[in-house]
Amino acid sequence: MKRRHRRPSAPDPAAFPTRTYDLLKEFTIASAVVALLTVGLAAVFSSPDVKPVTLASWARADGTDFTATAVTELGGTSTTATYGPPYNHTPDAAQKIGPVSLQNAAGVRIRVDTANDFVLRPLRQAPEPPAVTAALTTWTAAAPARQRAWTSAYSDALAKANGAAPARGDFGPVPVLVARLRELARAGALDGQLQAQGTFYQTDYTRPLLFLSDGSHLESLARAQHLKGDQWGMMNETGNYPGQAWLWLYTFWYQIEPFKSSGNADALIWAVMALLSLGLMLVPFIPGVRSLPRWTRVHRLIWRTYYREQAVERGRRA
Amino acid sequence: MAGHPHSVEEGAVRFVAAPVDLGGTGHYVHWGVVQLSVANLVVIGLMLVVFVAALLLPFPRGRGQGRGRG
Repeated sequence: MKRRHRRPSAPDPAAFPTRTYDLLKEFTIASAVVALLTVGLAAVFSSPDVKPVTLASWARADGTDFTATAVTELGGTSTTATYGPPYNHTPDAAQKIGPVSLQNAAGVRIRVDTANDFVLRPLRQAPEPPAVTAALTTWTAAAPARQRAWTSAYSDALAKANGAAPARGDFGPVPVLVARLRELARAGALDGQLQAQGTFYQTDYTRPLLFLSDGSHLESLARAQHLKGDQWGMMNETGNYPGQAWLWLYTFWYQIEPFKSSGNADALIWAVMALLSLGLMLVPFIPGVRSLPRWTRVHRLIWRTYYREQAVERGRRA
Repeated sequence: MAGHPHSVEEGAVRFVAAPVDLGGTGHYVHWGVVQLSVANLVVIGLMLVVFVAALLLPFPRGRGQGRGRG
């Protein structure tokens, strides 16, 4: 018969030394210190105050990039137009964890039709010069394949021109439409139109931000401030302000293979972090890991006076 | 006197502005794949200092500290 290991009986809690402890006093002192530090540091260092990037500032600072991006929005070839859920139903665009696509499972929740939402509707809502009315009529009457051919040809011509006037070609009404959109953007009207949701307070920046992120202007500004994903940007702040240092592990995965070059990086890294977070929650149940505090003996360093006194007492008894 | 209102405005801005401006070009250290801002490094360093201090600083011995009831 196997003998069962008997657990030593639990010591009586009343047998341990005690000390008075005023939790309310400690809480008050800690709150006062944190409040003073917050006010003091804010007075000395202030906080980041970078000028907002808007469609207006973009169209004024880099009109060529704005025009090129507007053409891709109209032709349905921009990043947003081909992103998949939650914006549209682009096939095979969603990220996957193995066979599972949480992006598809969540579905299309914020429907964005870039041609209509970013280009055609704002043009229709603004006062229309006759040339724009005619261009809109021509665009609407054309077949989708024809529309795609116009935008594709104009995109190519813009890329070849490299900021100069593009060569002549069969672009249909596209140059008139994007030129008018750029005018509206420069005047600041496009920001308001893309933000308008029919409610009193306009707080939804989704559409202007998506349009901005499809161009290269916002990206170049972010890169200059070390805010891009491949620059550990998740943990950085603008200028010399400290950022979110606690996101080091999340952003770390984006810097190494296989995540770095994977089209599924967001989904895969989310899964890795979920797994690691689960591991952290389950530390008390993982053999070996749960014994680390016993092996590192950090608690003996914190309570060193108690352990020293215990050793002295044991020596005296011996 | 076209410049006068500007100088008053600039003076007011300077008066309320924070003495240390961290809004300039950021400084970063590169070490292989690691890329860290100096500001984050300072904060991480301060966190380590606080952690080590919490381990090593002795507990205050307050009044009424008992030696156990048992």
